[in-house]
Order: sequence, then structure tokens, then C-alpha cells
Amino acid sequence: MGRLRIGFYGLTGCAGCQLSVIFNEDELLDIIKLFDIRAFPFIKASNDEERFDLVFMEGLVASPHDIETLTRIRAKTKTLVALGACAHSGCIPAYRSFTLKENYEHLLYSKAKDIADVEPEPISKHVKVDYVLPGCPPDKKEILHFMKEIALGKTPKFNHNPVCVECRLNGNDCLLIHGKPCMGPITSGGCHAVCVTGGFECWGCRGPTGDANYKAYIALLKKKGYKKEFIKTRMMMFAGKIQPEEMKACLQ
Amino acid sequence: MPSITLNHITKIEGHAKLYVEIKDNKVLKCELSSVEGSRYFEGILKGKHYYEAHEITSRICGICSCGHNVAATSAIENALGIEVSKQTLALKKLMTLGERIRSHATHLYFLALPDYMGYESALAMLPKYKKEVKRALSLMRFGNNLVKVIGGRDLHQVSMTVGGFLKIPKKQELDELAESAKILKEDAIETAKLFSKLTLYNIDDRCEHFSLHEKEEYAMLNSSLVSEKARFSEYEYLKYFEEYHNNYSTANFVSKDSKSFLVGSLSRINNNREQLSKDAKAILLSSSIKFPNTNPFTNNFCQAVELVHSMDQVIELCNSLTPKEERLVKPKLKKTRGVSAVEVPRGTLFHDYTLDKEGVIVHANIITPTALNLKNMEENIRNMLPVLIKKGNEEQVNLEIEKLIRCYDPCFSCSTHFLKVNWKRS
Repeated sequence: MGRLRIGFYGLTGCAGCQLSVIFNEDELLDIIKLFDIRAFPFIKASNDEERFDLVFMEGLVASPHDIETLTRIRAKTKTLVALGACAHSGCIPAYRSFTLKENYEHLLYSKAKDIADVEPEPISKHVKVDYVLPGCPPDKKEILHFMKEIALGKTPKFNHNPVCVECRLNGNDCLLIHGKPCMGPITSGGCHAVCVTGGFECWGCRGPTGDANYKAYIALLKKKGYKKEFIKTRMMMFAGKIQPEEMKACLQ
Repeated sequence: MPSITLNHITKIEGHAKLYVEIKDNKVLKCELSSVEGSRYFEGILKGKHYYEAHEITSRICGICSCGHNVAATSAIENALGIEVSKQTLALKKLMTLGERIRSHATHLYFLALPDYMGYESALAMLPKYKKEVKRALSLMRFGNNLVKVIGGRDLHQVSMTVGGFLKIPKKQELDELAESAKILKEDAIETAKLFSKLTLYNIDDRCEHFSLHEKEEYAMLNSSLVSEKARFSEYEYLKYFEEYHNNYSTANFVSKDSKSFLVGSLSRINNNREQLSKDAKAILLSSSIKFPNTNPFTNNFCQAVELVHSMDQVIELCNSLTPKEERLVKPKLKKTRGVSAVEVPRGTLFHDYTLDKEGVIVHANIITPTALNLKNMEENIRNMLPVLIKKGNEEQVNLEIEKLIRCYDPCFSCSTHFLKVNWKRS
């Protein structure tokens, strides 16, 4: 089998996910040997779009240009990966859909047609997505592991445990016990609980776990003194447009 | 001279575009714009708590996430009258330096250098310039590691909050960073030498050069703004800088007295070269590039000089710190406004928050360095084109324009390395 033809693209986003690939400083030169990087506009001037075995797509859809890029690349790609929280859920930028228009009305202005706003959405709203590497930012070693599995022809497996599992393995103090609004119990792990290990409560950037008890979690935060509106905002901030029905029901 | 329309095309990753119309060797229209979708961060911040701003705004930019973190916490601290400890200030500076190192190294080697070496990318340079690419990776690794040790993660840091740090690095970690910085300083010096030798297009751009300025040190935060003709506090930025929209761009433009100006490494070195470290100053003086300088293309060299200075600063700060656990400084909430200006890799970054008496954000304004520089980039292109077109073919003209844009290290979403220009002859 020849080297896989791969591409890295960015829609509306912060480029942090693409940097999470490049910032694998020790492995970057090996990646280049193992894969045929056909396109990576962030760091390459010459980008060949003919066909891809694998494409990593960063960013959310927020402009007509994003839709055009996404559908064009999807049509040429065998396996499309949503890279990071924006592509996965719409991340913080999609929160705009849940806030009052008057909050950002003063920021709106007339734009040319080709750059006008479209509803902020994760890429799965517009095209079929084969895999998701979640997180804001995604874990850079997880990206490497994923690439290795694909190169070996395996089906990559993902962590479905809540963040708390890895947090415990790190021996961290539970921040909920300290009264912090940590979202570890309802958030998909795989991040090695990097935030809590750094002293900060989890904000849920890898998205909600499928089988969390949202009702009990909300009740717990209320008991700790957090108001419903605060809890709602926190839970929606990174879950964006992929809130499970059970979660939505609890946030009504 | 035939009439020419330079028309940007769809980008493969179209975050920026350039549209130019030329007739009879006169530039009729020059529009450099971001086509990045709008994310309305300032609107999303409205109604959030004062302690959430840094976590949200860090998502504005991956490579400058520390900058947004530091600017947001500092603006809120200024608003609430919080005086952070010396240790917190030192850690903020270390994070800012780590980010500057990884950002400059990424920009210089991965985005800027290939143009000068005749390659499409740093990856394509590998067979012949492996040493240089590896040097870039070493500098990036060090910068990222520094940010991670202080901030808890290399992108979108977690350990800093309003009033202090949630996790304090260990002395041993700081010692290791200082040791690495001593070794990496050689790579920084080599980088400066490399960029001092490149042949640059020459523009004499007499615009104002803005940066923070302090007498005692190479300013990073909490100081006043200066240029050749102005000096004012960060709180007064709206009196001087006017932010405006153009309907062709999703990035804002900024002007002062209707004129463009410049922020970034070149401005910092023009204004603050006396405050550079001894070795950074020596490199500056030994180079054939003279300062104060008016050619924006020298910004790359200035970034490389800042790499050397940053290594010296990291060594000094790490050696002088004896880290200890500290309590966060608790704020007294009140209706108030706070502004902070921070020197981030691409220039001066402003965060401005108004809070209500509950500590809820009622207004936020953020101005990024790229927005500050955008108008000046347009002006430079406008001035370069008539000369370039007389001398070069389409390919050469495009390359020089792209080099100009890249030397600003703009952050439309961090690069315009996909800038292509379509030529139409009418």
C-alpha cells in the first residue's frame, strides 16, 4: 500500500487544532515520511486537491465560504475527520445561537454577500463525518495515535469514559468537592484531565458523554449554590449544537 | 501599461483575500480582507462572569491564546483594582515569552522563510535545509513546553485565572526551563543571523510605530503606549484609535487620525531597543539593518532578535523565581471598567471590559494586532504595486506581495499562506 494521501484544512476557527498537529515537534518529520501530505494550506503554498484518503477538517461553518470549502473537500475525500471542538460541536462560536441577538447586535454590520453570516454549525450539519477528534484543543498525541491506527488499516477506538476516570488516575483532588462547577462527570474523556490537573475545572470541551445523569449533575451544582442560568450557560458553552436530547430536556 | 485587475481567488483555506484594481499603473482599489466567518466573541462575552472572560477569549486564537489569557485577566484585574503578586506577574511574563518564542519560530521558519529560499513550504525545504527545520522545531518545542509548564497546557492554557495562578510550577521545572533556554539561545542567535542575511524588498514607510514602552524593561504589559509622536495610557486607546468596518472584510480596520500605523516586532524594536538584553542588542548592532527602521519587511529579523531577547528574559525570570503557593487575590465587586494592553507576538492586543456590580460583563471590546495593522498592509501594497508591475512578471509580483503580507505575520486565522492572486487583463 502506498502512502495515504492526506489533507489538513481549516474553516472558521482559531487554527489551534492545526497547530496541535504541527506542535508534535518530535514526530512531525516522521508523519511526513509515513503520509503523503497533499494539502495543508496553513503551512503549504502548493496544495493538490485531486483526491484524499484522509482529511482533517478544523473549524465550524460560519460563512458561505466555509460551506463551499467543506462540501468541495468532502466530495474528494474517503475519510473525513472533524478535528477539534469547532468542527465537532460548533464550540464557543456556536453559542451565539443561544444568546440574545441584542448581545451582539452592536457588532453586526453590512457584509458583502460572499462573506455574510450563516448559522454557526458543526461540520456534521452539512456533510457526513467519519470520525471525530474532539477537544479544544484536541489532544495532540491522540491525533498521532489516530493517524497511526488509520495508517495500519485499523479502526480507531475512542475513550467513552467521563473525564473523572482519568482525573482520578492522575490523583487530582475532586474540584466538585471544593465547590467548583467542574463538568468532568458529564464530559467525554481522553484528555488526561489536563484542565483539572492544571488546577482548573473542566468546561466540557470534548462534548457530553452519552450516558451521563444530567439531572443529578444539575441538582448537585444547584446544591453547591450555582444558579440555573449559570449551569445552563456552562453546559451549553462547548456542547454547542451536539447537546443530547436528555441534556436539552434537563436544561428546559 | 495594460490595465490589470489583480483579483484574489478563493483560497484553499480562504481566511484572507486581496483584491486590487490597477489602471494606467495607478492603483484604483486595494482591498485586503479577512473572509474568516464572524465569531462574535465580544457578543458572547456579554452576560458572562468576570472570571470567565479569559477562558472564552483564549479561543479567539490558538497561537496567541496566552496573549488573550493574559490580556483578559489583566483587564479584569485592572477593573476590580486587584494588585497581583510579583510571582503572578512573573508567571504572566513567562507565559507571554513562551508564546512569543513558539509563535515567532513557527512564523519565521514555517510561514516566512520558504519564500526566501525558493520553496513552497518548510516541509519541502527538508532535504536541503534539515538543520534549519530542526532548529525551528526545537524552538517551537521549547516555547510550547514553557507555556505548558506555566499555563498547564500549550494551547488554551488553564492554570491562570483572575488574581493569580491555580497551579504553581515547581522550582525544578523552572530550573530545567532556564537550562534549556541557555542551550536554545544558540538556535535563536543562528535564527537572527539567518534572517539578517536575507535580501529584502525595500519600502520606506514613515508611518507611526506603536508599542508599549517602559524605561526599565522591554515592555510586555501594564505600561503606556508610545509612538514617534504620541504617548498615552492603555485606557485612552479609543481616543486615538478608531475602529471601523469595511463591508468586504470580516476583520475590522483601525486608523489613527485617518492614517494607518504599525504594531509588532518592528515597532517594539524601534521604540524599545535600548531595553533589549545585551546579546540581543549586540546582534541588532552588528547587523546591516539599521534602526529605527522604516521597512516593514525587517519585521522578520526583528522577530528573530526578539527570540534571543526572550531566551535571556526566560533565563532571568526562571532564575529569580522561588515559586510558592499563593492565595488568589479576591476582588471587591463594583460597577467598573478595565483595560489591558499586552505585547503579543504580532503586536499590541487590547482587552476592554465593563462590569456591573455583580461582576457580570456588560460590554467587551477586543482589538487584535492584525486589525491594527490591516490598513497599513493595504497602504504598503498600494505603494509597492506600481513599481513592482513595471519590473516583474505576474509570478514575481504575487510573490513580493505575499512576502509583504507574511512579514506582518497576520492572524486572519494565523496566516495567509494560501494567498493567491488572480490576474485579469482587461
